[in-house]
Formats: sequence, structure tokens, C-alpha cells
Amino acid sequence: MSEQKIDVTGETCPVPLVEARKALKKASPGDVIEITGSHPASKKEIPMAVEALGLELVDVKEKDGVWTITIRK
Amino acid sequence: MFEDYIYLDNASMTRLDERVFEKMKPYFFDIYAIPTSESGYSMGVEAKETLEKSRENIAQFLGAEASEFIFTSGFNESSNMALKGVVEALKRKGSHIILSKIEDYSVLNTAKALEKEGCQVTYLEVDPWGQVDPEVLKDSITSKTILVSIQHANQEIGTIQNIKAIGELCQEKEVIFHTDATHSFTRIPLDVKKIPVDLVTLSAHNIHGPSGIGGLYIRKGTPLKKWMDGGFQEFNRRAGLENIPGAVGFAKAVDLVTVEENQTLKKMRDHLIDRILSEVPQSILNGHKTNRTPQNVNITFEFVEGESITLHLDIRGFAVSTGSACFSRSLDPSHVILGIGGDHERAHGSVRFTFSRFTTMDDVNRAADAVATVVENLRKISPLG
Repeated sequence: MSEQKIDVTGETCPVPLVEARKALKKASPGDVIEITGSHPASKKEIPMAVEALGLELVDVKEKDGVWTITIRK
Repeated sequence: MFEDYIYLDNASMTRLDERVFEKMKPYFFDIYAIPTSESGYSMGVEAKETLEKSRENIAQFLGAEASEFIFTSGFNESSNMALKGVVEALKRKGSHIILSKIEDYSVLNTAKALEKEGCQVTYLEVDPWGQVDPEVLKDSITSKTILVSIQHANQEIGTIQNIKAIGELCQEKEVIFHTDATHSFTRIPLDVKKIPVDLVTLSAHNIHGPSGIGGLYIRKGTPLKKWMDGGFQEFNRRAGLENIPGAVGFAKAVDLVTVEENQTLKKMRDHLIDRILSEVPQSILNGHKTNRTPQNVNITFEFVEGESITLHLDIRGFAVSTGSACFSRSLDPSHVILGIGGDHERAHGSVRFTFSRFTTMDDVNRAADAVATVVENLRKISPLG
């Protein structure tokens, strides 16, 4: 199992979700993906996509307008 | 990987029909020679006969003579050939061409290239459903007009143009008339014996034929300069080795389309339109309600970006497209939605669903359910709302 970290800080829709989808495609089952960004809508949009895909949303954190979403495939 | 995927982007590309592939196969492995004259070797003669039979079948479908139809590499080449060929052939008569504002890029960008070389181009306005008014066209034709290019059906919103009235007007004014029938061919009747059109662009890729093959109908006597130098193929109108498997596949694809299939597509189209408009608030149908191709649905969902809907539908296993070019990150709104009077928000929120022979009513219902959920979810987080 591996861990991928993606930084999309400063990027707006649809880039954060596009990058998350790219990372999820490459990942193997059990891998952890950590996405960091600042676009407010993406913070809600990525968990929506995680739910639709039936994956595990491990954690959502935010500090000073920068959020980090952790997903397990 | 895509076993359960529901593909609703058939205006861009369709899945090849197995029967088309079976028909093409021998021309990759057994009869692979270039077409030759009757005095040449047998495999070449066989290839030539096959090519001509394929040409005859497609021409017949259009109501044309076989000698009036040539194969090309696809719709883009066909429209380039039509527009550039006529302009070059008639440059002494004039250099004014007319097209609608909502043409596909193969026509639009060819016209823009010709404009840079000195042509005068009139981009006709369309009504809110995307229809060209023949009276407006009539007023735009001058003594210098040499060509009118108005599509048969629109690539994004499916609206069908009155090409009979447009063709009759062009005939009366002695102006060459080209129509891009890429998105209507075999789905909407087009008989060149009844419709006075001089040039018709066709393609195999969206009727379950192979990609990389298309055609151009050229009415006998139409002035058209050859624009690609090299060999003397296709009645010396197009240089380049003939694509025999492609031609065979194209002819087979045409042969497989039935009236019943088009009626089924129409039922699914109307069902999806009715479901979305009744179940998703603030959704707007783009294009004409009934005067549209049977396989096309295009809807704007207010307060949501089209590319967000596309992405979320993809995640749920559906392929649809947005008219805007956001995936290329250019953020250009759809010129078609802007052309029918939509603002930038409407243009960015448009989503196109296009069906094929392999689409089922169950697929359509599942898509309608997914669209309703995705749009509702996205609206909750939309900064546009």
C-alpha cells in the first residue's frame, strides 16, 4: 500500500476533482490519497465524488482556508 | 474497465458495429492491394470493385450517381475540400461566402482561414432554437456571393435546418450550396434528387462505422478545385491511397441504419427530455423541441457548470459532453449556445446527451436519475446559485 499526496492549492473547479480522479485511477485498492487545496467548492465536491465511488473518506481538515482531504481506495 | 459504463456521447464517436468490422476484416488481411484497373492484377481489381460497390451504395442512399460521391478521411476534410475548393474555383466571380454562426468548427474555422486570405464571410444569426431564416439568408446574398454553407443539423443542439428552402433559394440565386450533414446523415432523410444541394459533407464515425472515413457528395458540374496534390484517385478530386476497409465499413454502416432504429432513438430522446425538464428544476432545453435529430438532447442546468456535471456523471459511470471547451481549460463557452442567444452562464451549463444503436431505455432512465442527483448535489455547493 502506498500514499499519494497531491497539491492543488490555488486551483479552481474542475482542476481539484480532475486531479483527484487521476490519482484514484492510478492507485491500487487500499492506497491512501491526500489532496490539499484551497477552492471552497472542491472541499465539498471531492467528498461527494468519493461517496459516489463507494470509497472511504478518511479525513477532511481545514486550516486558514487550506483543506486536506484523505481518501482510501 | 468500461463494462458498466453508459456512453452517451455518440455525436463525438460511436462504437463500431461488429457487423461493420466483420465486413471490413478481409480488406485488412486478404484483399489488401490498392485498387487497379481491369488490366491489373486480380487482387487490385477486386479492391477496385469493392471500392466502387461501396461508393455506389452510399451514393444510392443519397439519391446520387456513384460518380458524384468521393471518399475522404472524414467530415473535417470534406468541409475543407468543399469550401476551399469552391472559393478557389470561383475566385474570378466573387469571394463572398455565407454560413450560420453555429456551424461546426470544420466549416467555421475553414471560413475563418478563408477570411484571412481575403474572402468576405457573413455569419448568419439564428433564431432561439438555432434555425436559419431563409429570408435573412436571401437578404445576405449579393452579386459577389459564391457559396452558402449551412449545416443540415447542429452538432451540439441537434436543430435541423430547412435545407430544402435554403437550397431552392441558392439555386434561384445561382449560388453554390454546401451542407454539413455529419450529424444528420441516415438519421434524417436527405435525397439530393429532391433537395437542390451541390455539396454534402458526410462521415461514418457517428453511425457505428469506422473513424477516419467520410465523404463528399459533389453534384455533377459543381465547380470545385482540387486542393490536395499527389495522385489521381477519387476521379482526380482527392490525392491519396484509397481506404478500402474504411469505404467498406462506411457502406455497411449506412446499410445497417433502419427507420425503426431512428424511431427508437426519438422515443428515448423525448423520454429523457421529458424526465429532465419535469424532474430537474431550472433546466432549459437547448435547440428545437421536435425539429431536432432523433439522437440529441442538450440541456442547460442553471447555477451549475457543465463540466462539473460531466465529471460527476463520469464518476457515476456515464459519458456525456459539455458544449463548452472547459476540459481544454480554455474556458471558452459554447459558440452554439451563445449563437442561439444564451449568455455565458447558459453556455457553460449546457450538457449534451447523444444516443446510439446500443443505447437502451434503461440507460436513459439511469442517466436521468443520475443527472437529477448530481445537479441537486452540485447546486447545494454552487457559488452561482
